[in-house]
Amino acid sequence: MSEIGSSCRVQYDLRPAKQVERRMIVDALQRLAAAGFPIADYQYTGFGAIYFVDFILFHKLLGMSKLLSLEQQTSLARRVDFNKPFSCVDTKMVPASSEIPNLSRDTRHIVWLDYDGVLHKNQLSDIQSAATILSPGSILLVTVDVEPPEDYDYKEVDPDFDSSKEVLGPKHWKRYFEYHASAFLSLGLSEEEFGKSKLVLRSTEILKAAFTKAIVARPELQFLPMFNFFYRDSHRMLSMGGMIEGRTEKRLLRASTIKDDSVYYRDSFDSPPFEIIVPRLTRKERLYLDKEMPCSDSWVPKEFDLDAEETRRYRDIYRFLPAFAEILL
Amino acid sequence: MRYASAEVRKQFFIEMFTRDISLEDCVLDLIDNSLDSYLLKHQISISKLIFGPNGTDPSRQLGTIDVTCSDRQVKVVDTCGGIERKRAMEDVFCFGHAEDDQIGKLGAYGVGMKRALFKIGNKFDIVSQTANEGFEVSFKLDEWAEKKEWKIPITFIEGAASERKAGTSITITELHEEVSLRIKQGGVPNNILDDAATTYPFFLDRCVRLQINGNRVAPRPVQLGESEGTVRPAHESFQQDGVKVTLAASVAPGQRTTEQAGWNVLCNGRAVVSADKTRLTGWGVELPAFHTKYTSFVGLASFESDDPLSLPWTTTKRNINQESSVFIRAKGIMAAMSKPILTFLNSQYPSDPRVEAGNIRNAVEGVRGVSFRDIASQPIGGFLFTASRKKEKKTDWVRFQASIVSLDKVRRHLRRPSLSPSDIGKLTFAHYVKTECAAD
Repeated sequence: MSEIGSSCRVQYDLRPAKQVERRMIVDALQRLAAAGFPIADYQYTGFGAIYFVDFILFHKLLGMSKLLSLEQQTSLARRVDFNKPFSCVDTKMVPASSEIPNLSRDTRHIVWLDYDGVLHKNQLSDIQSAATILSPGSILLVTVDVEPPEDYDYKEVDPDFDSSKEVLGPKHWKRYFEYHASAFLSLGLSEEEFGKSKLVLRSTEILKAAFTKAIVARPELQFLPMFNFFYRDSHRMLSMGGMIEGRTEKRLLRASTIKDDSVYYRDSFDSPPFEIIVPRLTRKERLYLDKEMPCSDSWVPKEFDLDAEETRRYRDIYRFLPAFAEILL
Repeated sequence: MRYASAEVRKQFFIEMFTRDISLEDCVLDLIDNSLDSYLLKHQISISKLIFGPNGTDPSRQLGTIDVTCSDRQVKVVDTCGGIERKRAMEDVFCFGHAEDDQIGKLGAYGVGMKRALFKIGNKFDIVSQTANEGFEVSFKLDEWAEKKEWKIPITFIEGAASERKAGTSITITELHEEVSLRIKQGGVPNNILDDAATTYPFFLDRCVRLQINGNRVAPRPVQLGESEGTVRPAHESFQQDGVKVTLAASVAPGQRTTEQAGWNVLCNGRAVVSADKTRLTGWGVELPAFHTKYTSFVGLASFESDDPLSLPWTTTKRNINQESSVFIRAKGIMAAMSKPILTFLNSQYPSDPRVEAGNIRNAVEGVRGVSFRDIASQPIGGFLFTASRKKEKKTDWVRFQASIVSLDKVRRHLRRPSLSPSDIGKLTFAHYVKTECAAD
C-alpha cells in the first residue's frame, strides 16, 4: 500500500472512468431495486475519504440513508468529519477489518472495499471476512490497483531490496504476489505470468479465489458475480464484486432485467472484464454523438473522424459519463 | 470372479493404531468414558453445562474418577454409574460403533478405551457395576492376539446395589516397556493432571471430582475478558449439519504467558485444541503469524451436537478434522472476529511515538474476567473497543516568573507587604478577567 493515502494524491471527483464505474454501479442497483431488492434500506459501507462521492450518489440517487464511511488514517479525522455530506453519513476512524465483524446480520449491506493500493494480504483477509459475515442479498465490491507493485510495496516482502541497485520486474512481482496471496494463485506460474500486462489477470484470479474461499464455507449461499470493471484514470484499476445469494435472491435476480440490458454486467469472473475507456472528445463532439445515441453497431459520425470501435465504446458509457466544467463559485 | 484377502488383523489395532496417540491422551480417553457414563446416567445436556446456570445441580451426586498412574500399573476407577451388561456384550469391546449403538457425548468413535488399553499394557482387568447388574472382564493382550476370534471373555457379577457405588474400574498392568520407561522418566502424572484441568473445565466439580494419584484436579477454564463500556468481546454463533457453534474472542484478563494465548476449541464441552496459534485456526494465513504482542488474545470455539460424529474432532480428540464443513465455516468467522482484536492489541505499540497508546494499554490491563456463558447470552457482534472519553479539563496552570521589583510594586500598591507571589498572581489574574473580559 502506498505511504500517502490516495485521498491526498488523487482529486477523487475528477476521475472520469471511476465516475463511469460509480454510475454503472448505481444503474445496476436501481435495476436490482426494480427487481424487488430493497436497496434503499441497505447499509452502504465504503471508504468515503474526504470527498464522499459514492456516498452522495447512493444517498441522492438510491435513497440509501444508512451510510458508513471507514477511514484508517487517523490524522484525517477532522477533515473527514468536516466533509461529511449528510447527517445520515456515519464515519469511523477504523480499518475495515475492525468494522466488518460488527456489520449487522439483520441488515443487507453494500460493502465497497475501494482500496487504492495493489493487492495485499490484508485486503484479501477483509474480503474473506466480509464474504463470511455479510447477510444473503448483500453486495460486496472490491477495487484494487493493478499496476505493478512499487518499491515501497515490495519492501514489505524484501526489506533488503535496494532500488538504486535493482529495478523491479516480473521476478519481484511474482514474489510479491506469492507473499501476499500464495493460497489464491494457481500452482506452477512462471515469471512471465507476472509480467505487467498479466497482473490484471493474476489479480482477477486472486480476487475470485478469495470470494470463493469464504463463500464455500456457507453451504446454503453462493457468490454471484455481477461486476468486473477494468479502467484507468491514472493507474489501472480492477473492480470485482457481486451478491451473496441465497435461494430468494436467486429467484429475484432471475426475474430482473439486469443481465439482459446492461453492457457492464458480468455474471462470471471468467469472462473478460468490462473495460471502461473514456474517449477523448470535445463538448461539441459529445453533443453531436449524444443526438445519435444509442446508435447501431456500424454507425460512425459523419462530421468528424471517430472509428466504429471508439463510437461503440462511447455508446456503452455515454449514459454514465460525467461532464466536467469549471464553475466560478 | 476372484477375491483378494482384505481381512482385519488384530496386529493393526495392537501395533499401528496405538502409535498416533500419546500416553496422556490415552488416559484422558479412559476419563472420557467415565464422564460419558455419568452424562448418560443423569441425562445431562452439554448445552446446559456450558451455557446453563453455574454451579452443580443439587439433585444429583457428583461422580468420582480416581486415576492412578505408576510404572507398574495404570488404573481408572469411577463411580459414574457403570456400564450395562447389554452394552458390554454388544458394543463396548467392539472396534467402532454399530449404527444403532447408543453413542455417548464424548465417545464418538468407539476406539478410545481399546486403543488406550492396547497402548498402555498387556493385562487388563475391568469391573463394572450399575446399581442392578455387573460384569468382569480380564484378559491378556498377547494371548488374545494369538486367537483368531474377535471375542473377549466376560463374567457376569452382581450389581453395586446402590447408585452411589455404581461405577467402573479399569486396571492395566504388565505395562509395555516403553510406557513404563516414559512413566519412570517422570512427569506423566503431572501432564495428565494439567491436561485434564484444561480439557474438562465444564465437567470438573460440576459432574465429577477427578483425582490423579490422589491429587484433586481443579478445573482451569479459558479466561475471557471484558470491560464495561470499554472492551466488548466478539460473539458469533450458527448451526450447521446438526452442530451448534458458539464463538467468543476477546482480550484475556490478568497477566498472561504466550503459551496461554490463541484459540481454544471445545467439542461437546471437551477441550480438543488449546491455545492454538497455528494455521489450524488461521494464524499466518487469514491472520498474521502469532507474535508476543498478541499474548492477551483469547478465543473459544464450542461445537456441540447430539451426534458426536458430526463434531470436527479427530479420533485422538486432540486435533481438528480440517475437512469438516462446519469447522471450515467456523474458521472463516473465527478469523474475521480475531482481526479487530489483533488490530487493537497492535495499537498498543504505535510506530509513531507521538501517537497516544496509553488508553489502549490501560484498556488491556483493565479487562476483567467474563464467562463464556455471559458472552454467549449477548447479541452477536464483533469486538468493540470504545476509548474512554478524556475528562474535559476545568482548570489549567498559569505559571511564570515575575521580577521581585514588580512583585514589590504590587505589594506596596495593595499595602500588603507579606502577600505571596502566588497570591499576587491569583489577584492580578482575577482583576484582569474582571476588568477586561466580557461576561459569559
